Amino acid sequence: MASPANLLRLSLRTSRRLPILRAAATQQPLLRRQFSSTPPRPAAKDGGQGVESEPETFADPGQYLKTFLRDDTITEAEREEATRMLEGWEHLPKTQQREIETVGNDITTDTAPLRKQIVVKRDSFWHGGETDPDLITNEIGEDDFEEDDMMALGHAKLEEHREFREYARLAVWEMPLLSKLAKPFQPPAQEEVLRFRYTTYMGEFHPADRKVVVEFCPADCAGLGEVQQLKLKKLAGARYNPEKDMIKISCERFEHQAQNKRYLGDLVDKMITTAKDPTDTFEDVPLDTRHHKFKTQIKFPKDWYLTEERKLELAAQRKQALLLDEQKRTEGTLIDGVQTIQEALLNAKAVEELVPVMRGRPLKAPVRGRR
Amino acid sequence: MSAPNCLRCLVRPSTAIPLAIPRQASPLVAPFAPFSTTTATAAKKEVKGHVRGGKKLVLGKFKKNKVESRVRPPGPGERKAYRKRITLSNDNAIQVPWLTDMGPGSLLDTANVAKVLALPEEVQDQLRASEAFKTTQSWKMFRKPSVLVRTETVDLMNRIQGAVEKRQTLRVAITGDKVAGKSMMLLQAMSHAYLNNWIVIHVPEAHELTTACTDYAPIPGTEPPQYTQPTYALKLIHAIKKANEKILAKTYTVSAHPELPQNIPANTPLLAIANAAKEADGAWAVFHALWNELTAQGANRPPILLSLDGLAHVMKTSDYRAPGFDRIHAHDLSLVRLFAEALGGGVQFPNGGAVLGATSRSNTPRAPSMELALAQREAEQRHADPAEVPQKDAFFRGYDERVEAVLRSVQVLRLGGVSKLEARAVMEYWAASGMLRAAVDEKTVTEKWALGSGVLGEMERASLLTMRI
Repeated sequence: MASPANLLRLSLRTSRRLPILRAAATQQPLLRRQFSSTPPRPAAKDGGQGVESEPETFADPGQYLKTFLRDDTITEAEREEATRMLEGWEHLPKTQQREIETVGNDITTDTAPLRKQIVVKRDSFWHGGETDPDLITNEIGEDDFEEDDMMALGHAKLEEHREFREYARLAVWEMPLLSKLAKPFQPPAQEEVLRFRYTTYMGEFHPADRKVVVEFCPADCAGLGEVQQLKLKKLAGARYNPEKDMIKISCERFEHQAQNKRYLGDLVDKMITTAKDPTDTFEDVPLDTRHHKFKTQIKFPKDWYLTEERKLELAAQRKQALLLDEQKRTEGTLIDGVQTIQEALLNAKAVEELVPVMRGRPLKAPVRGRR
Repeated sequence: MSAPNCLRCLVRPSTAIPLAIPRQASPLVAPFAPFSTTTATAAKKEVKGHVRGGKKLVLGKFKKNKVESRVRPPGPGERKAYRKRITLSNDNAIQVPWLTDMGPGSLLDTANVAKVLALPEEVQDQLRASEAFKTTQSWKMFRKPSVLVRTETVDLMNRIQGAVEKRQTLRVAITGDKVAGKSMMLLQAMSHAYLNNWIVIHVPEAHELTTACTDYAPIPGTEPPQYTQPTYALKLIHAIKKANEKILAKTYTVSAHPELPQNIPANTPLLAIANAAKEADGAWAVFHALWNELTAQGANRPPILLSLDGLAHVMKTSDYRAPGFDRIHAHDLSLVRLFAEALGGGVQFPNGGAVLGATSRSNTPRAPSMELALAQREAEQRHADPAEVPQKDAFFRGYDERVEAVLRSVQVLRLGGVSKLEARAVMEYWAASGMLRAAVDEKTVTEKWALGSGVLGEMERASLLTMRI
């Protein structure tokens, strides 16, 4: 089914016919009360509408107009109009009248199934026979492939291509215009000690886009002496980084970025004011850095680099050592473990076999013959 | 003895009836039971109901390969004795021809650096008595116990000798890497002391004093309460007596000691005081008297070497409990207190001496104060920048002020790897003993030296204690 030839045929098909008229109309099922505690009652007759009776069918317009004129409730103007129309009908030739009658009959017979009321089968599984009236689109027959279009794969490829071209257009026509908006970098001034960080998700909603982070160095704050700076660090607590000497505070308490930034600015002001307050300088509290893990940067020792001089030095040392070894070898003072063991085994005196001797008896000569 | 026949029937005992039969057939039913209300026959348990026969559930009947051990199980204490056994000689090892014995001045001579010296027989006995040898050291491999003289050894001995000559007390904490030779340095110092006829008091394992494995008793009338360890004190007195017998016999008391179990008048040899300790009960009093005599100012006393191995154990709270179930600080134990005072500089030896404490790396509790104090002393010794001297962590609560006070003015000797020359010397000794089957040339020495980064114990592991031959 999904052979490449077939796919190609379907994708390249150029003739495109209009799809066949799908289901003529949505059919309303007969409304039934879902649940009731009272028996069903006919509607009140005096309301005017009365019980909907089966609508009368007419063979031709003349018949209808005659019935209409027979009604007493119509106005004079209507009566005149109807009378005029009836005269016109009767003046028509008989053949034409018959044709109209045939067309009317045909329409009535052809649309009969559309007008038929659908009764839901009670025993069906999940109301299987019923069409869903509440669909957003008219789904019926939507997924049927009529062999008159490319496959979805082809459409996706095309869409991708369109996207590429869109960005290519952007890059060529609109990006160069951005450089007009570029501003030259200016390092922060002496009094700009606070560094804010914002987050944007390019217009998308994100819970973190309200977050603002401020970083500053206590030493940069104007008007703070050593003691005040230390107090500021102690006030910052775990937000103080002793390795970088920076205080970092973030806020995402409020709904908008601006509110959070305002809060942070106020907070820093408050901290600096408190740090300047001389009533309590927190002298008895040591600076707590337990929250921070100091990282030691391990560097390759300078002495270990194999420079040319070092190589020469090492070579000289090795040569010296080898010479010393050689000298010892010729002198015979070089100690070899294996050799030592062998010499010791050669020089070892043969140990005489131990002969048990009874106490108080002289050592006897070995007994010859049988014992 | 009961009558052989029934007393109730007046039948004469007949020889035809074997006397043993009633005994064997069924146990004799006592004619009346003094504690029973029923007659003997009624009380006799009757077998009634169903007697179960046939198969019974036998558990473990399929365990066929149960080997009945015919070996005698080791007696009490035998295993421990085997574990703790110290072998100082190996008859299979080859005698090293150039090995010389250590003399009184050997360890002071820089010419002896990077040489292996043997311990004389007498010193061996003394060291053994004071438990200076350890099972973890490989004495059992060689013909004669010998030690390598390191640069640090000569340096430390010269410092001690200098202090003794000035009648001062040198206080040194020996620390360093694992298996770097800290205990061996203590042993060398002790050998030097024994060879020069000093008094040596050595605590071989400090954890024996503080891990609550020996009995303790409060000393009445002390505030804060101090505790003695009678059994350990007795053991220590015996060790001191055995190791320093000659010198103690030549040293005389300056005052009488009526408080001892044996009355000791003035001008008695100190050996008599040591001999007075027969039981654990009075051991502390004897030790105290001995210590007072040894440190008596103005008297003619030999220099004293006081050493302890496992310093961290005595620089923390001990495992002993006071009556209120609080932990006792190690410095409240009288023996440890004595050592701590001496190490802290509170005791002046009359003729000078040394107090040495060696840390341990394999069996050591955390003693943050000691670690910090040693690091600080070390930094001060090398005249480091004041900013580089380690400081206390302000938010750590485990520091101990008493420990800091003791270690405020000690010197620190850090032991690391040996030089290549020393490594070569010790490897030549191994090879000459037949324990290292390789030619000791530059290649082998560098290989082993680099493997153990110069640490002697690691070199030993790499070359001696490996199974590859």
